[in-house]
Amino acid sequence: MTDVLHAGLDLLDRQIVDRDGELVGKVDDLELTDPEDGPPRLVALLTGAQAYGTRLGGRLGGWIVSAAGRLGGTKQPVRIPFELVEKVGPSIRLSAAVSELERVERVDHWLRDNFIGRIPGAGNAPE
Amino acid sequence: MKQILTIALGVLTAIGGFMDIGDLVTDALIGARFGLALVWVTVVAVIGITAYSEMCGRVAAVTQRTVFDLVRERLGPRVALFNIVGSYMVNALTLVAELCGVALAFELATNVNYMLWVPLVAVLAFLVVWRMPFEIMERLYGVLGLALFVFVVAVWQLGPDWGQMAHDVTHPTVPPGEGTPTYLFYALVMLGAQMTPYEVFFFSSGVVEHGWDRDKVGQIRVNNVLGYVIGGVLAIGIQATAYLVLQPRGIQVAHLSQTVLPVVTAFGQVGLALVIVGIFAAVFGSVLETLLASGYTVAHHFGWRWGKFERPVNAARFSTVILVTLLGAAGFALTTIDPIKITIYAVYLGVLTLPLTWLPILVIANDRRYMGAEVNGRLANAVGVVYLVLVTVAAVAALPLLIATKGGL
Repeated sequence: MTDVLHAGLDLLDRQIVDRDGELVGKVDDLELTDPEDGPPRLVALLTGAQAYGTRLGGRLGGWIVSAAGRLGGTKQPVRIPFELVEKVGPSIRLSAAVSELERVERVDHWLRDNFIGRIPGAGNAPE
Repeated sequence: MKQILTIALGVLTAIGGFMDIGDLVTDALIGARFGLALVWVTVVAVIGITAYSEMCGRVAAVTQRTVFDLVRERLGPRVALFNIVGSYMVNALTLVAELCGVALAFELATNVNYMLWVPLVAVLAFLVVWRMPFEIMERLYGVLGLALFVFVVAVWQLGPDWGQMAHDVTHPTVPPGEGTPTYLFYALVMLGAQMTPYEVFFFSSGVVEHGWDRDKVGQIRVNNVLGYVIGGVLAIGIQATAYLVLQPRGIQVAHLSQTVLPVVTAFGQVGLALVIVGIFAAVFGSVLETLLASGYTVAHHFGWRWGKFERPVNAARFSTVILVTLLGAAGFALTTIDPIKITIYAVYLGVLTLPLTWLPILVIANDRRYMGAEVNGRLANAVGVVYLVLVTVAAVAALPLLIATKGGL
């Protein structure tokens, strides 16, 4: 990789994996700050349905954001602070484990606890 | 020795992936209506699917990324969403056709109406994806699917005029009573049946899941070429038996029993038994593949945890997509919709999704930053570009042809 990161090409829509290689999600959007004394700074990767809907835009995007907001209790996207990014390559590797990230696996766990996990033979939920 | 075994198993899996209800129905239907006049399409399709599967397998081995992962990265979320919605729908429709196909195989064996078998097939499919070691199943279906070679052997048994057959293959003509648009419609049906989109994404997912890397690129290539070429031979065998037995008698294929009729003519009850085993194995294998592929498309787009080796609780979103798809497909199959028509439409609509799936594969396979030394060579690019143009033309022509021919009537 070169030293210059191209946000559109090198970050957006890439797969995020945690420090153990577990899949976390996609880089659905980016959070930038725009300080007065300098260029914009990348502060966080945004992932999940809220970020995805915002990025998609249009009526469908708006619908996804409001549906996710109603079900998840907030329209705010899931943030992964950029400090946690360890390596940018074909996928984006974090220095944290997926279980340490807030809200990332909420839908997955809800489905596991209320649907999939209740079907016999689904395997034991890891404690 | 172990190497040969591994390759043999890989080839079997590739044949199993190639042969599904789409091939069984369309090859016989086209053989009965157009004789050998569309064999050239099978040859064209086999070269195309081999080239793109090889690229896709190589990309997956080098980057550990699957097709829909790359589609989103290269085309952005909007185009990619459009693409997965289309691919998912076509794939789900294919699943309906495959479920009916296994049920029809049971009907052939038992004379009990296929509708009664559909729920049982769905339950079997659920049990396999939920509990079974997938690799063993995949190989088992590959081995049993070899019984379909009875179609190829039947061509010899029927004692054809080889000179006439060679002439019909090399001088394709539209038979009297069929219009050119109808001929082209069925050419696209054949193309769709043999370049089924799910084969490619199922295959790339398999490469990533088995953890195959650069060292396996050669083996992936061998599996691919042999598997698809043998699959193509099988497809031509089915067309030839239909041409020899069904066309002279004016029998149209409206049911799976007509597909197997030539084999019964050639070998009687033994032939029927073999062909039922072969159909069951090949089509049930395809039920599993399309079912998993429906989960793959969605999970790869959103970056969820996925995998046929994961326990369902560890990939709850992926498993949910699979279960909902299976229930929906089984419900749809039970609406007494004509399974042969569903099959034709599923393979036909598949043509529409090919360009958007193949374009990013070709682009990534040329990206040296990703691929390093395994980047596309001249041959792969030449074939890749020709086929991209071909499937784009086919996709553009597909809907007007569908309307002009009223669905091939």
